[in-house]
Amino acid sequence: MIRHHPDDALLMALAADRLANGPAVVTAAHAERCAHCRARLRELDAVGGALLELAEPAVLAPEALARTLARIDASDTAQVDRDAAAGALPATGSRESAASLAPAPSRAEMRFLASLPVGMSWPRSLRGSTPTPWRWLGPGMRWSRVSLADDRAANVFLLRIAAGKSLPAHTHDGIELTQVLHGAFHDGRERFDAGDFDEADGSIHHQPVVEPGGECICLASVEGRVAFDGRIARVLGSLVGM
Amino acid sequence: MDIARRVIDRVPAAAGAPRLTVVTPQRGRGAMPTSEELNELVRAVATNGDRQAFAVLFKHFAPRVVTYLVRGGTPPASAEELAQEAMVVLWRKAASFDPARAGVSTWVFTIARNLRIDRHRRGGGAFDAGDDADIDLDAHPDPAASPDDRLDARQRERRVHAALRQLSPEQARVLHLSYFAEAPHAEIARELCLPLGTVKSRIRLAMINLRRLIDATEP
Repeated sequence: MIRHHPDDALLMALAADRLANGPAVVTAAHAERCAHCRARLRELDAVGGALLELAEPAVLAPEALARTLARIDASDTAQVDRDAAAGALPATGSRESAASLAPAPSRAEMRFLASLPVGMSWPRSLRGSTPTPWRWLGPGMRWSRVSLADDRAANVFLLRIAAGKSLPAHTHDGIELTQVLHGAFHDGRERFDAGDFDEADGSIHHQPVVEPGGECICLASVEGRVAFDGRIARVLGSLVGM
Repeated sequence: MDIARRVIDRVPAAAGAPRLTVVTPQRGRGAMPTSEELNELVRAVATNGDRQAFAVLFKHFAPRVVTYLVRGGTPPASAEELAQEAMVVLWRKAASFDPARAGVSTWVFTIARNLRIDRHRRGGGAFDAGDDADIDLDAHPDPAASPDDRLDARQRERRVHAALRQLSPEQARVLHLSYFAEAPHAEIARELCLPLGTVKSRIRLAMINLRRLIDATEP
């Protein structure tokens, strides 16, 4: 049961393509497994559709339609060629060749995925991104920096904290988004389970504690300058590059 | 009588369609194809490869998609190219369009938005708002999906439209700029004469109000 969701302003920013890549992957990771937020996103897409209807139409080049039809004809011919080529293969062969169009996960990626707890689902929003191997951060604390395929500068990382341990305490002057991928933590006020989402601004000085019973893995994106408390946390701060 | 002909007869803006040229569409509510007509046009493209139906859709959407992209900061030449690409996607995917999932306008909006996202990150999509994001989500139905998740698109779009009409002009403007402006926060601050620091809370308020109105509208 998911109880903590992104608010409408954040979902709208995702629907309207207004989020930086870091916040976008974390918010999308939530929506993937939250039917409630997917329904919200459909409404917010519908808002986009309604606003598109209301938009003042631009004047197009007179031959724009003819050019588009020409592109359609060209791509239809290419499609027929592809279909013909696929038809020459046995059914399984064409399915394999279709699958091979998606980029295969790299060896490092496979190794990383194998290091995840059984039953934990890896967000589709992270497809094509490269997490570093887990790095030691302190007793019972590991972290991995996630390089997004197209935005290596985005501050996105995974934290993997053992049962009963605290997450590194910190303050920040930007927005921090967290999606719980596995396990659960308690932030002193509320419990966050796998699937839950948290948005914190700098006014919150939080030190969530992982619930007893199992480790917790969170996907987080941080904007703005972050200040960690304590020596270990300062190490994280310097490693994450803030 | 086929759908393209009917819309052309009713909607003056579509009149140039059979000649496969683009005229500036007329403004005014009477000149807009209805959402039912748009559904039928897409169906005609899907089942018969109906070029006249496509021409009507093109005339309606391509100029609006260009406006959307240009307002968002895409240079006009690329915007027109991208709008053409969006219409090619519409043609190719017409068969997978499901009116129970989304209205045509919503569908075209998501196609244009996703193409713009792809364009900005040539290195390959980092997150799943690619070409198929909307379809992708639906390809993995959540067994615990709330009834909301399956709410018929027509009801959803009616509620959204009704809510947008009831929004105060200022909040409607905030919403419009949030979706369309190149730099929403700066433009909202400038247009509404607000300190930049308060824009975020204005957007939040507009969203809360929109949510209230959507939820209050009877399906």
